[in-house]
Amino acid sequence: MDVDRISSDESEGFFNDFIEEQLNDLVEDIINEGDLDRTDASGSDLIVEVDDIEPPTLVYGDQGGGAGAGQGGGEPGDEKGKLKFEVPFDRFMELVADKLRLPNLLKEGKGKIKEVSYEFKTFGPVGVLLDKKRTFKRALRSSISTGVYCPKEGRFDVEVRRKDRRYKVPQRVETPKYKAVVFYMGDISYSTFGERLELEKRLLNFTHHWLDFNYGKNNVEHRFFVHDVEAYEVTPEQFYQVSNIGGTRASLVFDLVSNIAFNEYDPATTNFYGFYVGDGELFGNDAKEIVEILKEQLHPMFNRLALVEIQPSRMSCLNTEVSKAFGSDRVVRTCALKNKSEIIKVIKRMFEARHA
Amino acid sequence: MLSLRSDPKLFELAQRVEFFAREKFNMTLPEMRFFILDPMEFAALLEKNVYPTSPINIWEGKKIANKKHRIETGQESALYYEVVQTGNPSYAYLNETNSALTQASVMAHVAGHCEFSELNVLHDSDFDRTEYVMHLVRKANLGRQQMGERRYIDYWNACESALPFIAPNSQYNLENSIDKETSMVASAVESHDVVEPGEEPISLVDVTLNALLKTDTAKPFVEMEKKRDLHEAMSRRGYSLRAPCQDILGFLRQYAPTSQAEHAVLDYLYTAHMHQDFVIRTQIMNEGWAMYWEKKIMMELFAEDSVRGAIDYAKVFSGVCYPRPYFQRNPYHLGYHMWLHIEDLYREGRMSLDYHEETDLDTKKEWKKPEEELNPQECMRHLVKTITDYEFLRRFLTPELVEKFHLNRLDQRTAQQLGIKNEDVIRADRQWVWLHPEPIKNEMLGFFAHYYRPRIYIIDTNFMDGGLLLMHRDDGRNLRADWIRPTLNNLNRIWKAPVYLLSKDKLYAARANGYKESTVKGITFEEAAERLSQQQQPFKAA
Repeated sequence: MDVDRISSDESEGFFNDFIEEQLNDLVEDIINEGDLDRTDASGSDLIVEVDDIEPPTLVYGDQGGGAGAGQGGGEPGDEKGKLKFEVPFDRFMELVADKLRLPNLLKEGKGKIKEVSYEFKTFGPVGVLLDKKRTFKRALRSSISTGVYCPKEGRFDVEVRRKDRRYKVPQRVETPKYKAVVFYMGDISYSTFGERLELEKRLLNFTHHWLDFNYGKNNVEHRFFVHDVEAYEVTPEQFYQVSNIGGTRASLVFDLVSNIAFNEYDPATTNFYGFYVGDGELFGNDAKEIVEILKEQLHPMFNRLALVEIQPSRMSCLNTEVSKAFGSDRVVRTCALKNKSEIIKVIKRMFEARHA
Repeated sequence: MLSLRSDPKLFELAQRVEFFAREKFNMTLPEMRFFILDPMEFAALLEKNVYPTSPINIWEGKKIANKKHRIETGQESALYYEVVQTGNPSYAYLNETNSALTQASVMAHVAGHCEFSELNVLHDSDFDRTEYVMHLVRKANLGRQQMGERRYIDYWNACESALPFIAPNSQYNLENSIDKETSMVASAVESHDVVEPGEEPISLVDVTLNALLKTDTAKPFVEMEKKRDLHEAMSRRGYSLRAPCQDILGFLRQYAPTSQAEHAVLDYLYTAHMHQDFVIRTQIMNEGWAMYWEKKIMMELFAEDSVRGAIDYAKVFSGVCYPRPYFQRNPYHLGYHMWLHIEDLYREGRMSLDYHEETDLDTKKEWKKPEEELNPQECMRHLVKTITDYEFLRRFLTPELVEKFHLNRLDQRTAQQLGIKNEDVIRADRQWVWLHPEPIKNEMLGFFAHYYRPRIYIIDTNFMDGGLLLMHRDDGRNLRADWIRPTLNNLNRIWKAPVYLLSKDKLYAARANGYKESTVKGITFEEAAERLSQQQQPFKAA
């Protein structure tokens, strides 16, 4: 039999191509409906569930047919009618980028920050780490040539001379390091629960994963801020839990973020991102003050600033004021998210290269 | 994949197994070739219908991806016991992770399967089967290149819909259902040849008178006339249906208009799957036979100390032969114990005419009159040569054996799930429920009528001008409605002409210009068969 190895790899590849096509169609559904609400999901595989495929044929309609039909039902072990498969998180994000046509985020700081590591790929006659394998090979070769090692004559010694020694030589490798900090700002003065909270979570979690994917998980710092009539920093868990009833002043949180960005980070080597979510209902000069802060403090420094009104009402005025001042700006984006089906649209608007 | 010769110890063990099988037990065996596989190769082999290669297809990919996921997540063990593709030579595969004891038992078990396939009335042991399928794989792969990826996938998927309709051993297989021009000619020639001149009358007067007296009973020309009429009645394609045909994929493979590439796909799928019909029809006898000889050979190996671990083997053996209720059909358990029972019957002379004619029940009960010239194992072999599972159970399974083999025993939970009625229960304890043993035999025999699948037949190959008419033999159950349309569309793709399905009083039609359902006056299967036998159209749409 002229077969070296029995394998179904080719057929599996065929099936994987099919799944890839399915996955492309599923990207929007996963973002809208999928269970992506854990911010620590990046890095792990996603379990994607799709309807099982089976070749149709003529079978009984009353599935099973009593005690005798022991062989019915889908594949051994799979959930009936469903097909589960794992997708690496990065692969999923690539598909998202491809499907939503999202650009790679601008990685400023290239060349400024270097990540230094050492690789032992070369070898030399001097050093600290002896490469025993290479040394022995050289010693054996020279012992044979000098006749020290000659099995025919019963000599089995191997002489290791100084010049036979080979050491691993470290080589300095510098790779550019990208660093980013993301500020999430939320309005807790309005009733953030139910659908509103879910919309907010989905949007910000996707943002979280997307930036992690673009910069690498360890190179992004995520910071969460909330405001009512005061602004303060909270943990990611608190961000979705705290709420308050009463007045609101959003400009305070922009001011706080601006101060932190200036004082705690080096603007020359850091990429800044800011995302604000709220109902957009502001009072007095609050919106105008925000526009001022955006113009004078944040806009010159930030890569992207997005202000999203979640289920806005007729009283919402933040986006109106900001749009007046920035129009189609490279950095500042304003969006309104009314329901789940608009999440994809909002994501595109937040991250697309040019504001339409 | 490694040859058995790569492991000298295993090779020696195989030699011993073969020695006992051939020399000691006189087993009729083809050449057996053993190979050693790693667990993932084993998994792949199973998805390839136990052939080492297969054409690329999405369904195999799906199954192997699913299997890998299940193995990686611990839902399924990667340990497989034995896999054999019978034929001459037979190819058997051993899992490299198994112990020597297990490998020996696998080899002994394989010997049992090989003999069964060789001897059985359905004779599932053709020459170079594996090699031929590998040749078909190459042709199908070539066909893929000829057809292009998209068309190949579509055609393959269409054929998948017809895969359950392979029935080479059915009463309504191609041979019994189709008249071909070639077979007609052959039979005509045959009938002409066998016309015997009859005994010459004694010459009374002279040759002329003899010629006048000679009775001309044989009229070959009349028979020929009939055959000619039949020839004319045949369709232009050179075949006609004389009975309903259950081997639908076999029919499509032979008579559907196909390109060379399409034919290669059909050829591969049919050939690779056709042996499953044999397996399903003989599973109890076959597995029982393999277990029977496995144990015999293993006892010999233990006796000569070729392998050790009789206790471990006994544990595994009893696990494999664990009794299950009749509807879960553990063929290892049932088959093995049935063969032991039959061996006892022969040994004690209970299969003799005297025993059957004995009227005194007490004498019958105590009967032990072995027939000296009778070798029980040869008698068992005679059974293998003449019957399949249906007859095996019909002839030998008695209500007493149903009880003895625990076929009527269910655990309480299963009984509750199945909604077993009190009147069907003869006794119960905290763990088990025992059903009446009497109806169980009939229930088990019922399986062989339909194998839990709807029975579909071709009853017309020229329905409404070139259409293929299928009929669902009514057994009181409905077909899955949402799969009828895609299935017929797939068959339409293979047949390249309209395909119809008659199920009860519904006629479903898949044609190039769309799909249609209509209500008609249905016919019974028997009516259709009767009309076909009389060369009439079995069903006419209003």
